Amino acid sequence: MTRLLPTLLLTCLASGFAAPAPEKVFPFPYTQEDLPNGLRLVTIATGFPNIVSIYIVVRTGSRNEVELGKTGFAHLFEHLMFRGTPRYPSEKYTSTLKAAGANFNASTNTDSTVYHVTFSKEDLDTILMLEADRFQNLKYSPEAFKTETLAVLGEYNKNSADPAEKLDETLQATAFLRHTYMHPTMGTLKDVEDMPNQYDYGIEFFRRYYRPEYTTLIVAGDVNRSRVRPAVDRYWGKWKRGSYRAQIPVEPPQEEQRTARVAWTGPTLPWLAVAFHAPAYSDCDPDWAALNLLAQLAFSPNSDIYQKLVIEEQRVDRLDADLVASPDPFLFTIAVRLKRPDYLPNVQLQVLQTLDNFAASPVETDKLEAVKQHLRYQFTLSLNNTEAVAAAAARSLRAERSVDTINRLYDLYSRLTPQDIQRVAGKYLGVNSRTTVTLIGGQR
Amino acid sequence: MKAILVLLVGSGVAWPQIRMVERPSRAPLVDFRIVFMTGSAYDPSEKPGLAALTAALIAGGGTRELSYKQLLDAMFPMSGSVSSQVDKEMITFRGSTDIHNLEKYYALFRAILLSPGWREDDLRRIKDRSINNLRVGLRDSNEEELAKEVLYQTIYDGRPYGHHNSGTVSALQSMTIGDLRRFYELEFTQTNLVIGIGGGYPAGFPQRVKQDFEVLAKGAPSPRPAPPPRSVGSPRAVLIEKQTRSVAISLGTTLDVTRADPDYPALLVAQSYLGQHRASGGRLFDRMRELRGLNYGDYAYIEYFPQGMFRSDPEPNLARQQQIFQIWIRPVPPQAAHFALRLALFELDKLIKEGLTRKAFERTRSFLIKNVNLLIKTRQAELGYAIDSLYYGIPEYNSYLRKSLAKLTVKDVNEAIQRHLRTDNIRIVAVARNCEELKNKLLSNALSPMAYNSPKPDDVMEEDKIVERWRIGLKPDSIQIVPVETVFE
Repeated sequence: MTRLLPTLLLTCLASGFAAPAPEKVFPFPYTQEDLPNGLRLVTIATGFPNIVSIYIVVRTGSRNEVELGKTGFAHLFEHLMFRGTPRYPSEKYTSTLKAAGANFNASTNTDSTVYHVTFSKEDLDTILMLEADRFQNLKYSPEAFKTETLAVLGEYNKNSADPAEKLDETLQATAFLRHTYMHPTMGTLKDVEDMPNQYDYGIEFFRRYYRPEYTTLIVAGDVNRSRVRPAVDRYWGKWKRGSYRAQIPVEPPQEEQRTARVAWTGPTLPWLAVAFHAPAYSDCDPDWAALNLLAQLAFSPNSDIYQKLVIEEQRVDRLDADLVASPDPFLFTIAVRLKRPDYLPNVQLQVLQTLDNFAASPVETDKLEAVKQHLRYQFTLSLNNTEAVAAAAARSLRAERSVDTINRLYDLYSRLTPQDIQRVAGKYLGVNSRTTVTLIGGQR
Repeated sequence: MKAILVLLVGSGVAWPQIRMVERPSRAPLVDFRIVFMTGSAYDPSEKPGLAALTAALIAGGGTRELSYKQLLDAMFPMSGSVSSQVDKEMITFRGSTDIHNLEKYYALFRAILLSPGWREDDLRRIKDRSINNLRVGLRDSNEEELAKEVLYQTIYDGRPYGHHNSGTVSALQSMTIGDLRRFYELEFTQTNLVIGIGGGYPAGFPQRVKQDFEVLAKGAPSPRPAPPPRSVGSPRAVLIEKQTRSVAISLGTTLDVTRADPDYPALLVAQSYLGQHRASGGRLFDRMRELRGLNYGDYAYIEYFPQGMFRSDPEPNLARQQQIFQIWIRPVPPQAAHFALRLALFELDKLIKEGLTRKAFERTRSFLIKNVNLLIKTRQAELGYAIDSLYYGIPEYNSYLRKSLAKLTVKDVNEAIQRHLRTDNIRIVAVARNCEELKNKLLSNALSPMAYNSPKPDDVMEEDKIVERWRIGLKPDSIQIVPVETVFE
């Protein structure tokens, strides 16, 4: 890559690891630079011909919903961003994208809202202009606002059929008492139903967070920086920097284990979720990376417990562990779907014993190396088109705001040892940090 | 393709037993896409789901040499896997590997497909998974996909296309390893096989793969299941009784137009105009969601499109002799269900009667001409589309479509709509609570006025007065209420 921005974390890179850096896992040449207004621009030449993907990452998600009664607003705002500007009302915005044959959509998570559009390279200038316009000049009527809140309610309704959504919601509400990670990105039903009355807050939300210092623009595909930067300066350069900083409540340490039960009225298979408070993402401090390797070592399809519960005993049909790369400490979560409710006590015991084993002794080196290889190939195999490359870059920005973090993370993985895995198992997966949620459905 | 194959054999033209689709490139990856031109339409009538269970066991079980556990261990460091997809007339196996692991990966891939382990414990696990996909994945947890899958059954009721690809719970429970082996021996043949390989493989590699696959039985062209008939008669509805917050609706009918038909590009324009999948700007999306806030989205299809809730692009290798026309109405509040259904039919009727304006036609066509470049973005998609083109006997999809679209006129599109789309034979599936109440509303043709949370323009309010009394044409014996727990059993 061409480095135009001084690396902020040089101290991290020089932190005493001796092993040589392996080949870069993110193989595409890219540049990363800041405009004077704080907008960050990442330009990635993917080598795939003709196509360009723009991913716009705004670092605001349900984590930023700090006020009572306003849960789900980051996601609502994702919808509102398609409601047009004075120059490009929503119909004209859509028809301009359609004329370019573009695919476009957006998504929201706890930490960011991501807008993406993919199209042929000859339309790059038009699309950069169009996207810059809505990020700076969004304007919708109170009537359009109210109608859009109903589309959000429709989305809530479609999701509500899935017990896994309820399991996640309950887990977060139980594990977090103060931090905004306690509520779901979709928002609580009460708040979603109140959204039509919150037009003024919508304007305030835009004013706070849709600012260049919160935003990274990724332009990937058949592009080069010398064409992209002048167009970005022209269309995005006048965007005004903001000053708002959300005061996200800090979650106090959990002092004893917590449990919750979800009674699901319809028939479904039972679920068990076991979660522990985990550190925030870091490509520097080894703990997050070591826990992520542990998730694979302990619960991936070739792990001992997966092979026992899913393949041999066949008591479980889904088993995985997940660690979100979040800017604030989130959860290390093991989710299990069981074939019968009476399997629950034994399966829960086996999950906890698995974690205890990792804390008690170091994992075999070859198993650790297999996981490192698995993660590398899983990542590189996914980079098979421009849109996927841009999406991978966008995902990496959830916690760090630098695409450099991809290569730094895989470098960090390569240096971790069995002792690191054992250490983090002991440090983070203790009983007092644990939240257990079970979901039991009605009889079939 | 089998129809073409029979013709060629009959006329004395030599046809290679295994067909190859090769897409070499300099990519550091190699993609495999193995398609057998057989599928759930070939399930024995008493064993619906046999094709899918066979494919699932092959992709998710051990090989003759390796148990499934050993296979997972061997695949894991390469992040390797093999996935399967089954439709009425195609069974697809997909896999990809980094070029550095090609030999190791291919050895496993080959063993999975050519030397299945046929173990009882693997079958038990895969059966459980298939049954849970029907009962839990669809019935318990996903009303939208449930409505769509029941629609696909309803359209082809009693015909070779008329069961869910995964079959029924009772049929799955009764299947034995012997059933699966017989299906494999009969249908996984060289005659049915197309091998797709793409990426940075070494010279001569596809030939080696072809030779390896020649261990499969040669097979004879099997007679294709008779094409399902058009849905005829008056509209019919299936209402699935379930405790839900909202009502998920899908409606559709059979469509004789496939990619092999000259009217396909014209209907593709109509589809995109009415409701491009998961995109704003379609007529249904604009009128139902954007303007009225009825739900999260509304789309239209002229080809079978499973798993639409989870995918932004269609998956290739779902080619069929006969296609479907479908409208997907995402969940609406119970009080708006009747109105939403009426509005979708009103818009379809309007499309049939009035067609597209020249401006709408030009806009939609130019979208499609450019958008097709985005459709085939991975090597897997490229292989899949090429194999579909082989099935339909059309040139490479991308250039075929662009050339055909360029020649189209608005008159062609509107005439094709008139020829092929109808509302009088529509099948409707809704997942709802209080189905009896919904049934009564549909039968009595009761007014279904809308109340909005914000003022609407006069033309919308005027249009609502027409929509709220729209006659769907359902009769007492054409509405069936089905308890959700009986679906797919």
